[in-house]
Amino acid sequence: MKSWDKILIAVDKTTTAMHAVKYVGTIIRSLKPPKITLLYVYPEPPPNFYQAGGLLPDYENEKRAFAEGIFSESRTVLTECSIDSENIDTVTRMASGETISQTILDIQQEGGYGTVVVGKRGVSRAEEFLFGSISNALVHSSGEFTVWVVG
Amino acid sequence: MRVQTANDLPPNILSNLRNHPAGRTSRTKNRIFYDTSNFTAIDYGDIIFVDDRYFLVVAYTKEGRFGIDEQPKPWVPKVLDLESGERFIIKLVFHEQYELSMGGLKVICYRNPEKEARVLELVQDHPHSMHGYSVEDEAGNIVRILDIISGKRLDKYVYSKSEDHQEYFENDFPGILGSYLKSVETISLFHQHGFKHGDIRRDHILVDYDNGLFRWIDFDYDFFLPERPFALDLFGLGNILLFLSGRQTFRTRDVLHFPGMGEKTLATITEKDLSLLSQDRIYNLQKLFPYIPDALNNILLHFTVGAPLFYDSVDEFYNDLAAYHQSC
Repeated sequence: MKSWDKILIAVDKTTTAMHAVKYVGTIIRSLKPPKITLLYVYPEPPPNFYQAGGLLPDYENEKRAFAEGIFSESRTVLTECSIDSENIDTVTRMASGETISQTILDIQQEGGYGTVVVGKRGVSRAEEFLFGSISNALVHSSGEFTVWVVG
Repeated sequence: MRVQTANDLPPNILSNLRNHPAGRTSRTKNRIFYDTSNFTAIDYGDIIFVDDRYFLVVAYTKEGRFGIDEQPKPWVPKVLDLESGERFIIKLVFHEQYELSMGGLKVICYRNPEKEARVLELVQDHPHSMHGYSVEDEAGNIVRILDIISGKRLDKYVYSKSEDHQEYFENDFPGILGSYLKSVETISLFHQHGFKHGDIRRDHILVDYDNGLFRWIDFDYDFFLPERPFALDLFGLGNILLFLSGRQTFRTRDVLHFPGMGEKTLATITEKDLSLLSQDRIYNLQKLFPYIPDALNNILLHFTVGAPLFYDSVDEFYNDLAAYHQSC
């Protein structure tokens, strides 16, 4: 069962991702204690990773450490917005065999999140064609939940 | 027991070796390679031993790229099976990596022999693909042994149609498009199984001399686009459709020099008519050939700077193209 006040914020190391965190904190601080999950999704290693002797556990550890830095910064922003840190949890996941946006959608469904929040990168048409737009992909798939795209 | 020199080869193999020019020239010692890691050391007349088979190197394949003339590919020798006398192409492991620049955007491309080996398993009986199989050499390198396709490169096949464009478009293009749809369908199959082709270009389709089928070759390129993994394949398919529709790819200078076009036609071309990723290619072919129908031109416009929508998947592209083809 989805709950609108159960909020999933997909974050990365961009300014707009942090704008999204701040936006959520500002908007919801006056509401009843919300449940916020900070989510960091990272891609599978590039095709040459294993050829070059890379090991998946090392890659995952590196990404998790990177995510912790983003989560720490996000928690600070939310705490400054008077969100109790007990209401904030974190998830880090690799997009295994699927796109990053699909992984966000999977987690939204698994966790019954009624609201998903992302920052907007502001990509060109060519960039969108080649690299994709996570916010567009989420909006296109958001039949049964709400997406906030923060610039 | 492991054979060290050509003279120790089994008699029938040695006999076949000596019957070939590469096996009796004084230029080479007919060395036997069990480990192909250093493929640059393998030369004409050398023998590659994999899968309990002796393959004599008799030539190298060639390929042109980025406007550079065809260059030999030392990791892709043409070989002769010294037992059966059959000819094959062998692909050795070459972990090349380079940065591709498209419309100012950078994409890292890799050669991925493992991926090509898995695709070969997928398409082992597929009529619109090259065929072959992979084995490991003594050092664990994935060696692909490919059947040679007796066929003509798609671009040369199209260039061989000598009538003017309108005649080509009306008489030849519908049939070519029907064959190309099978190629697009094949790429959709790749994607359904999570594989990219990786290097979709008009010279990576061969038109089989025996049956006229379009057959894809060269699956070892891969690239890293986590959110749009198949975007470059889609872009390549669009480029081939552009080429097939126009019987060539039109850039600014081509419009200036093409009979019946020139500066007047060029003046009608705006930025929105150009390719989204290669902004020197004119995708709005209707401005060059007004008889090109809307249904086809609209498919091409999906790949332009001015496109309000682009294709998200090969299936979307295929469906539009098949609908147009049915109406031809």
